[in-house]
Amino acid sequence: MLYAGINASGDLFSHLWQTVLPSYISNTLLLGFMVVLLSLFFGVSCASLIVYTNVAANNILRWLLILPLAMPAYLVAYLYTDLFDYAGPVQRALRQWFNWQSPSDYYFFDIRTLLGAAIIIALVLFPYVYMLTRTAFEQQDQNLLRAGRSLGLSKQQSFLKIALPLARPAISVAASLVLMETLADFATVQYFAVNTLTTAIYDTWLGYGELASANALASILMLFILFAVVTEQQANAKKSHQSNSPNSEHTVIQLSLTQQIIASSFCWLLAFAGFILPFGLLIMMALDYSNTEQLFELLPTGMNSIKIALYAATLCTLIALILSLYQRLSDDNWRDIPQKISGFGYAIPGTVLAMAMLATFGPIDHSINYLAALWQFKEPGLVLSGSIFAVIFAFVVRFAAIANGTINSGLGQIPKSLEHASASLGAGLGKTLTQIHLPLLKPSILAAWLLVFVEAMKELPAVLLLRPFNFETLSTQVYQLISDEMLEQGALGAILIVLLGLLPIIWLNKKQETL
Amino acid sequence: MSELVTIKNLSVKLQQNTILSAINLTLAPGDILGLVGPSGCGKTTLLNTLAGFIAQNNGSITFATANNNLTITPKNMLAPEHRNVGMIFQDYALFPHLTVAKNICFGIEKESKKEQKSQLLQLMKLLKLDGLAQRYPHQLSGGQQQRVAIARALAPKPNLLLLDEPFSNIDARLRNELMLEIRQLLKQLDISAIFVTHNKDEVFTFADKIAVMADGKILQTGTPSDVCQQPINWQVADFLQLGTFIPIHKSLNSKYFDSAIGKIEDKQLITVNKNQQLLLKPQHLELSSNITANTVVETISITEQGYHYLLSSLTTNTKLSFTGLSFYSESLLTLGQQVAITIKPKAMVTLNKLAS
Repeated sequence: MLYAGINASGDLFSHLWQTVLPSYISNTLLLGFMVVLLSLFFGVSCASLIVYTNVAANNILRWLLILPLAMPAYLVAYLYTDLFDYAGPVQRALRQWFNWQSPSDYYFFDIRTLLGAAIIIALVLFPYVYMLTRTAFEQQDQNLLRAGRSLGLSKQQSFLKIALPLARPAISVAASLVLMETLADFATVQYFAVNTLTTAIYDTWLGYGELASANALASILMLFILFAVVTEQQANAKKSHQSNSPNSEHTVIQLSLTQQIIASSFCWLLAFAGFILPFGLLIMMALDYSNTEQLFELLPTGMNSIKIALYAATLCTLIALILSLYQRLSDDNWRDIPQKISGFGYAIPGTVLAMAMLATFGPIDHSINYLAALWQFKEPGLVLSGSIFAVIFAFVVRFAAIANGTINSGLGQIPKSLEHASASLGAGLGKTLTQIHLPLLKPSILAAWLLVFVEAMKELPAVLLLRPFNFETLSTQVYQLISDEMLEQGALGAILIVLLGLLPIIWLNKKQETL
Repeated sequence: MSELVTIKNLSVKLQQNTILSAINLTLAPGDILGLVGPSGCGKTTLLNTLAGFIAQNNGSITFATANNNLTITPKNMLAPEHRNVGMIFQDYALFPHLTVAKNICFGIEKESKKEQKSQLLQLMKLLKLDGLAQRYPHQLSGGQQQRVAIARALAPKPNLLLLDEPFSNIDARLRNELMLEIRQLLKQLDISAIFVTHNKDEVFTFADKIAVMADGKILQTGTPSDVCQQPINWQVADFLQLGTFIPIHKSLNSKYFDSAIGKIEDKQLITVNKNQQLLLKPQHLELSSNITANTVVETISITEQGYHYLLSSLTTNTKLSFTGLSFYSESLLTLGQQVAITIKPKAMVTLNKLAS
C-alpha cells in the first residue's frame, strides 16, 4: 500500500493537496483532539465518582456507564440527527411552546458539524477511558492513600495527589485507544459530511476510482495511527506500578446533597445519552415500523454476517492459539515477534486495511489470471480481491490481536510449574498440550472466539470497501439505510448489532469484577 | 560408582548472568540433601537444572540407574520427561482441572488400568488421602494438596525427588510434624531427595546432608552437625547464624592470641592463620567476676533463652575492637553497663573474614 501510495498519480494527488487535503488533515486532527479531550473528561470524572465517592446508585451506574461501547457511533449520529434536526421532535416542540416561526427566530445547536461528530463519538468511546481508569483506581494499593492521609492530606487531596497521578498510565492507554478508534471512524463523519482522511480514502477510491491516491491518503492516516500506537505501548509499559494485590476497602469521599445531585445527574446523563436514549429510540422505531416481512428480509444478510464472522472468529482463534503456544513453549529468542506484529493489526483502521488488501491482492489476482490465460485455463476472475476471501483476510488481520490478547492472558494464568510438573512426570510436549494447556484454556478460547465473532459482525468500513458485488451484511445494510435516511426499515438489524455488541461488554465487565 | 547423582563442574548462565558456577556435588542412594543459602544464590536454579527445565552451559550431571549411568552434558541433553526425576513444586503445581486420582495417575498412564489402580490405592493409603480421590485440588487443604503433590511425584517411581521449598506454605505449627512424616516416608521407600530451603532449622529436621550455597557456588557440604561445628569460612557461619566474629592477633613466638576480651590460649583454637577473626558462639561466653570489665551493653532483648545482649568492646578504634557480640544470660544487665566477659575453656574455630 505504501508502495502504491508513493507511486500515486501525481496529478490527482497534487490537486488534492492544493484543494482539500489540508482541510481533511486538520479535520482529522481536530476531531481526534476533541474526542480525546471529551472522552477524558467524561471517563475520568465518572470513574472517580464511581470509585472514590458515595454517588447514588453506584452499583447500577458502574456497569451502565460501560454500555455505550455497544453503540456504533453512526447509529447514535443518525438517531440524534433525527431527534434534534429542524424537523425533529425536539425543535418542533420548542417551536410550538415558544411560537417560533422560522429558524431565524432562534438559535439551535447544529449537530451535523465537527463538534457534533466529536460529541457523538466521545459519547460512545468514553467508556474505554472510564473502564480502564476505574480498574486502575480499584487496583491501587489503598495503603498508598492511607499513607497520604496519615501524612496530613485530606481525602480529596490524597485522591488528587496520589490516586489520580497513579492512574495516569492507564488513562493514557485509554486515550490512545480512543484516538485510534476516532481516526478509524468512517461512518459517523461520512454521515455528518465532515471530511476526514477516512472519508477521503473512501471517496477517492469509489468516487474517482483513484486507487493509488487512496493508497497515499491511507499511508498518511497510518502515520497518525502509528503515533497513537507508540503512545499506547509506552503508556502500557509504565502500567507496571499498578499493584497486583489490591487490599481492602476504599476510603470514600462523602458528597454533600448539592454535590450528590450534580454528580448523579452527570453520570446518569452520560449513560442516558450514550446508551439508554438511542437504544430506546431504536426499539420504538422497531415497534412502529417492523413487520414479519422485514424479519425475513433480515435473514439472508444476517446469514452473510454470521458466515464471515464465523470464518473470521475460527481463523483468528486458531492463529492466536498457535502463536501464543509458540511464544510460551519455544526457546527461540524471536518468539515474541509474530505476536507483536499480529497485535499491530488492530490499530489499523478498516479503511486503510481495505486499501492495503486491494493493493496486495489486486496485482496477485492479475497474475493469477495471466497465468491461467497462459496455460489456457478459464480465467478465474478476481478470486482474492473480489471475493469474501479479502473480507475475511482483512478481519483476521484486524481482529487477531483481540483473540491473541484473550488467549495470552488465559495462558498467563497457567503457571509454568504445571508444564514442568507434567514434564517431570514423563509427559512429552504432545501430552502436555492436549491434557494440560488445551483443557485449561477452554474458557479463554471460547471467549476469544466470541469476541472476534461479535467484532466481525459489527465491522463496517472494511466490508464496505472489500465486499463482493451485491454482498450485504447486517452492518452494511444498516449503514446503507442510514445513508438513505431510512433506518426505520433496518431498526431490527440495528438492534441486533447493538445486542451482539453487548455480549463482549458484559463478558469484559464480568472478568474485571472477578479480578 | 556408588553415588546416585554426581554433578561435576556444572555452570548455568541465564541472559549473560552466571547463575551457577563450577558446582560439584554428589548424593548417595537413599540420602536426603538440604540446599540452603540466601535468596538469589541459585538454589532453585540448581534444582531446575537437575530436573531439566534449564539447560546447563558447562559440566555434567550423572544419574546412576539400575542398568547403566546416564550422563547429561551440554552436548548430550536429555528432556525432563526422560530423566525420571520427580519434582515437588513450591506451589505444588497440581493440575486444577483433574481430580486427585487423575493427578496422581498422570505419570503412570502408560501402565494398565489395573496396575494404575493398585498403585493409586497404595499411595493414597501411604499419604493418608483416603476418600479424596474424586476431589479437585481447590477442594483440598494446603497440607492435603502437598500430600497429593508428593503422591503424584512418587507414582512413576523416580530415581530422585526434588523438592522446592516444600514447607514454606505450611502452617508453622504443622510444619515440624509434616517434615518428620515425609522424611520417614522417603526413608521407608528408599528414595533419594534434594530439597531447597532458606530455613536452616528445616535442614536439621529433614536432611542427612547439607550444602550451603552463595553467589552460585557451593561453599561447603557435609552433615548438618559437622558444618555447624566447623564452618569453612565466615559466609557459611554467617548464613547459618553460628555466632559473632571478633578480631584476634598473635605476636611472633607468643603462646597466646590477643583479643579485646583477653588472651586466648593457642590450644583452644583448631586452625591458625594470619589476619584472623574468631567465631564466638553465644554458648562459649560467660560473665566473669574475677577480671575488670571489658565490654559494654549496647542493646537488650528478651527471648526464650533468657536476655539477649549485644556487646561491644570497651576499647574503640583499635585493631581488636568489635561491636555486636551476641550473648545470652539469665541475669539482667542495664543499657550502657560495663561487664566482664570471658571465653569458656572449650574448642573453637578461627576463621578468615573475607569482607564485611
